[in-house]
Amino acid sequence: MSPRIQVSLADRLRSLPPYLFAEIDRLKKEALAAGVDLIDVSIGDPDIPTPEHIVASMKGAVEKPEHHRYPSSAGMLSYRAAVAEWYRRRFSVTLDPATEVVALIGSKEGVANMPMAFVNPGDAVLYTSPGYPVYPIGTLFAGGEGFPLPLTKANGFLPDLDSVPAEILRRTRLFFFNYPNNPTSASAPKEFFEQVVRFAEQHNLIACHDAAYSEIFFNGKRPPSFLETEGAKEVGVELHSLSKTYNMTGWRLGFACGHPEIVGGLAKIKSNIDSGAFQAVQEAGITALQTDDHVLSGIRQTYQARRDALAEGLRQVGIEFDLPDATFYIWARVPSGHTSASFVELLLKKAGIMATPGNGFGAAGEGYIRFALTAPVDRMKEAAERMKTLL
Amino acid sequence: MYEFVRVKRLPPYVFAVVNQIKMEARRRGEDIVDLGMGNPDLPTPKHIIDKMTEAAHNPKNHRYSASRGITQLRCAISEWYKRRYDVDIDPETEAVATIGVKEGYSHLMFGMVGPGDTVMCPTPAYPIHPYAPVLAGAEVRSIPTGRDYDFFAEMEKAYKNTWPRPKVLTISFPHNPTTEVIDESFFRKVVDFAKENKIIVVHDFAYADMLFDGYKAPSFLQVPGAKDVGVEFFSMSKSYSMAGWRVGFCCGNPEIVSALVKLKSYLDYGMFQPLQIAAIVALRGPQDCVLDICRIHESRRDALIDGLKQAGWEVPPPKATMFVWAQIPDEFRKMGSLEFCKFLLKEGKVAVSPGIGFGEEGDGHVRFALVENEHRTRQATRGIKKALGKGA
Repeated sequence: MSPRIQVSLADRLRSLPPYLFAEIDRLKKEALAAGVDLIDVSIGDPDIPTPEHIVASMKGAVEKPEHHRYPSSAGMLSYRAAVAEWYRRRFSVTLDPATEVVALIGSKEGVANMPMAFVNPGDAVLYTSPGYPVYPIGTLFAGGEGFPLPLTKANGFLPDLDSVPAEILRRTRLFFFNYPNNPTSASAPKEFFEQVVRFAEQHNLIACHDAAYSEIFFNGKRPPSFLETEGAKEVGVELHSLSKTYNMTGWRLGFACGHPEIVGGLAKIKSNIDSGAFQAVQEAGITALQTDDHVLSGIRQTYQARRDALAEGLRQVGIEFDLPDATFYIWARVPSGHTSASFVELLLKKAGIMATPGNGFGAAGEGYIRFALTAPVDRMKEAAERMKTLL
Repeated sequence: MYEFVRVKRLPPYVFAVVNQIKMEARRRGEDIVDLGMGNPDLPTPKHIIDKMTEAAHNPKNHRYSASRGITQLRCAISEWYKRRYDVDIDPETEAVATIGVKEGYSHLMFGMVGPGDTVMCPTPAYPIHPYAPVLAGAEVRSIPTGRDYDFFAEMEKAYKNTWPRPKVLTISFPHNPTTEVIDESFFRKVVDFAKENKIIVVHDFAYADMLFDGYKAPSFLQVPGAKDVGVEFFSMSKSYSMAGWRVGFCCGNPEIVSALVKLKSYLDYGMFQPLQIAAIVALRGPQDCVLDICRIHESRRDALIDGLKQAGWEVPPPKATMFVWAQIPDEFRKMGSLEFCKFLLKEGKVAVSPGIGFGEEGDGHVRFALVENEHRTRQATRGIKKALGKGA
């Protein structure tokens, strides 16, 4: 038989580093195979089940034949209306479900498709860094040039918008920012969002706020929506995921909302790439968005207890961090003499703790590691104990 | 204010025009029989739904799944290939689950082609086949396809007239919209052509089970050497009436499969695990539901072909797919397919898809989708008879 033909990939795929979490997944499997009693605090994947009433609502929906047909890529109008209603209730923001909301198959897909919709080869995209790896990856796929804005302790983990060179700004089409922030767990004050609106207006760029963690907050400090800011809906969109809010990571459901032209552009590219989310899942999403706040406050209390347990342990071993007001992460400095990678390796090999190296979220994350609060309190305490013996 | 850079490269979406008129008529209270979109109307078999519900209650299934699909799902498609076509697929390296074929195919194009590359694709075609490479920044070279064309002669011509040489050939048989079918020797020739010209073959096998009159559709992968040159997509949408569930597969050449796996790991987190578990049950469970679905479409086809004949419109019955591809009657052909569709909507209260929506070559035809029951199908052909009786 003649040999296989040479498969050459598109440049966009050749230029990419391995996906951080795929790499972590591999290390984790190795450790588990070696019989390690692993405390996995690496991936932001809630270990708490989806609330029962949401699961139950899916059962009725999946039996309906109309949901067995192709969904519309933009999402059911009833789902988009539930999003608008949630925005009104939660943020007092008014959205037109028909034109200002589009369903996403999780916000990862939305982040990846934003540059596909709006970025030409040679255009620049700004994003906060360290950050969700899909901001630079989506940018690369679209042939755009990524320009990371470092988040450091010195700048309060808020980007310095004045630091962007004019030459870059001239070509910038899109700005990704994300608060409450993953991985730094920092929150942004309303003034920052106001600054972003002025910045976007001035430089005619699309402000894309990733608000995946807006509902995981502590001590009643509810994070604002970017769209609450005056003028925000004229310059941008906000992406949400149901993953963290309702422990629905596996369900793959989110949405983008805001400026109708931007929402429309995203919907248009999506209609050529996917056929939308299973409608039975969207029905569950509607139920989720109508969830009574006391259910969510129970989830928040669970995370808060874990945060406090881990924080206590970290303090005892002398690891530096800022106690977060939101997200389910702790962003901690590595002990002196360590890099992100060497400390993650040490934790894995000597303590059976799988954390995420900060530099995996961008060069600005070097010197940090991220702990996800996705294991029970006793495991958090156990992790702290193991670190004590190590350091 | 904003430009939609990639979408701007796509041709205008003509189906939207027909849809718009249909919606307006329905708002006026008219009873329109919609044979436009190929959106399966039959419910998903119950045992699949039950499995989904059961799996959704297990909290283990609420967390992130694997982007490439869980192992058992990849094993299930591998067994399906073995059972059906005696094809060996390594579930680890030669199979990836996709969020429907549309997602898998679009992302595969993003992974394989970019500016400066060319993809060859039949015309008329399922619009995503040419659109996805265009969105990826590549060019598309069309191969005129249908009863009047020798596919290989046209492909040869298209290939020779393109420089730099095309990198990928996208085909799909049984073919939407033309309903053309092929036999195994066709795929053998495709493999020879691909090897000779070092071109990657992507075969979309969406209608693998929608087969009539005893016709058996070959899998591209059953041909010796196919795995050396390409991959095949299969979808649960038609075979198991699971269009809404969004489950598909890409199997074959391990390098191409791994490119798609890699790309998808950057872009999505795979499918909700209960959907994957339901798909496993569908692939491994009793297959009589597949035959039932197929027979229902066959009866609808017969009702449509018979009704059109009574309306004076002779159309050869298709051997596969869920469509009938009908040449517009002589008297009406110069209207073009879009105007003819508007005419059928207005005078016959039937919505069909204009052939031009699938490419210029399709303009002499319209496509009927077999998505309404026999009773409604007959209502449609009575409406068509009335319309045709009025003359052009």
